[in-house]
Amino acid sequence: MFEKILVANRGEIAVRIIRACKELNIRTVAVYSEVDANSMHVQMADEAICIGKAAASESYLRIDRIISAAEIADVDAIHPGYGFLSENAHFVEVCESCNIRFIGPSPRAMQALGDKAVSRALAKKAGVPTPPGSEGVVEKEHDAVAIAKQIGYPVMIKAVAGGGGRGMRVAHNDISMVKGYHTARTEAEKAFGNSGVYIEKYIENPHHIEIQILGDTKGRIIHLGERDCSVQRRNQKLVEEAPSPLLEYRFRKLRDKIGKAAVKIAEAARYTNAGTVEFIVDNQGNFYFLEVNKRIQVEHPVTEEVTGIDLVRYQILLALGEPLQHSQSDIQIKGHAIECRINAEDPFDDFRPSPGRIEMYFQPGGRGVRVDTNAYAGYTIPPTYDSMIGKLITSGKDRREAMDRMNRALAEYMITGIKTTVSFQQAIMQDPNFRRGVYSTGFIEQLLGGARRELIEEKT
Amino acid sequence: MDIKDIKAIIDLMKKNSITEFELERQDSKIRLKRGPNGGVPVVQYDEPVAGGAAPVLLPASSTSTPAGTPQIAATGEIEVKSPMIGTFYRAPSPEAANYVEIGSEISPESVVCIIEAMKVMNEIKAEVKGVITQVLVENAKPVEFGQPLFKVRPA
Repeated sequence: MFEKILVANRGEIAVRIIRACKELNIRTVAVYSEVDANSMHVQMADEAICIGKAAASESYLRIDRIISAAEIADVDAIHPGYGFLSENAHFVEVCESCNIRFIGPSPRAMQALGDKAVSRALAKKAGVPTPPGSEGVVEKEHDAVAIAKQIGYPVMIKAVAGGGGRGMRVAHNDISMVKGYHTARTEAEKAFGNSGVYIEKYIENPHHIEIQILGDTKGRIIHLGERDCSVQRRNQKLVEEAPSPLLEYRFRKLRDKIGKAAVKIAEAARYTNAGTVEFIVDNQGNFYFLEVNKRIQVEHPVTEEVTGIDLVRYQILLALGEPLQHSQSDIQIKGHAIECRINAEDPFDDFRPSPGRIEMYFQPGGRGVRVDTNAYAGYTIPPTYDSMIGKLITSGKDRREAMDRMNRALAEYMITGIKTTVSFQQAIMQDPNFRRGVYSTGFIEQLLGGARRELIEEKT
Repeated sequence: MDIKDIKAIIDLMKKNSITEFELERQDSKIRLKRGPNGGVPVVQYDEPVAGGAAPVLLPASSTSTPAGTPQIAATGEIEVKSPMIGTFYRAPSPEAANYVEIGSEISPESVVCIIEAMKVMNEIKAEVKGVITQVLVENAKPVEFGQPLFKVRPA
């Protein structure tokens, strides 16, 4: 067993990882930037080391500083969380060369799923359907137009190195195609240091369905069912649930099919540890592979609640080289779970970020309620990082119970000093379409644009 | 740690009105807590844990101030802070003399110590002009970003 793990992250996921370590009697080392000195993960860890100034590029993204911290604290392994260095193959290599175990997939698996164009090709080879699109990076403008004509508009121009919903543009005709092609390349270069873009058919209002997978070092891979993450605003997830109402109510047989496809892709990449395979599903039940997220995800708790499996604990055990303790037939989906990402944003002011000091903080509780957060009364949210302050997860014997419980729980939140998205998520929980389970990624735009605005404003 | 040391710590606690003291090493951990009204201290001593590395004593949380720019401390002195994470060494090699001692005059270009990270020895410059009044870190101890290393009376 590992004796000490360094958590190379911050916020709620660092707290989550520290908890899993504590339950395994593993000592924890937190790293933090100057502005995170009073953060919860720093308080909870056994040791804490300051690694730089506020900017992530000066701290949480600094491989040299994180490795230095790992060395002076003499850790056995590093858990990268999500974001930051979690999908950085070079970081994994540095860890390995310093004899520190990286809790995640191998550099080889990371590179096999390296960028989106490469993983698309891998999926195709594995016989998994992908959205019609270019074979790889599109180097020239006239190729882009030709491919778009071949696939048929509308199309999506995507950065191969993009992630987290960023680096994408839609084009409906040749003119917007040419413009979008060049702007996307410039943006991609600036944001990800890689101007490579590829082209994909744009499936309008798709459902975003992702499959949680786990793989051990013996090559065995299982899936733990799907999560539906279609409730997004500007490609940022706001509400996630497991299982997907689309699959439950309309396409029952798809779960098995999509699950098997996810496992196939993971096997082709010789994937190890935890990962998520993303698909889009259209209204006819056709599914297409999008990409693989080679890390633990923000919304992992909904899978944990319906399967009863601790995913972060599994990550640690798999990193030790232990074999999977579950076979595919052992995985049972019981009940329903929903997660709301609580962001420090003002839903009445176009979701403007609202950092600052939390004056009063009371979080929901009771049966079937789980809160994964790093917030507390008196905590000052720094403006330097993302705006998520926590996740509220409710579970129930069925979707109805989980939704009603979420409604009840959201109303219990008492947070002053900052604005949060709680009232907006209450509106979502009460929306008739959401309650029927009839929604796709266009849902939020419709909700914001439509007559529901007065319902949201009432909730303050 | 033997009973003599524990007694010495208890006396120190009483003398300086300290109510709680905790010391953690790789091989042992001790926690002393004085009861209300200065009563008998409660001793909590953990079993030795197998470990081979040098003792590491890092605060569970620390308030840090920006490094790089020397900080004026309450007494009018400037603190030289660590710009990186690593192991602090006072001399270029074990046999050599320390770069600076208390009373040493330094200029901005003076090398005051080495911080070693990933087998690379980094010479750290003072970046202030003055006289060393305090050495805040022991030789061969780990330091974090922003940690004060020396106190300097500016010239």
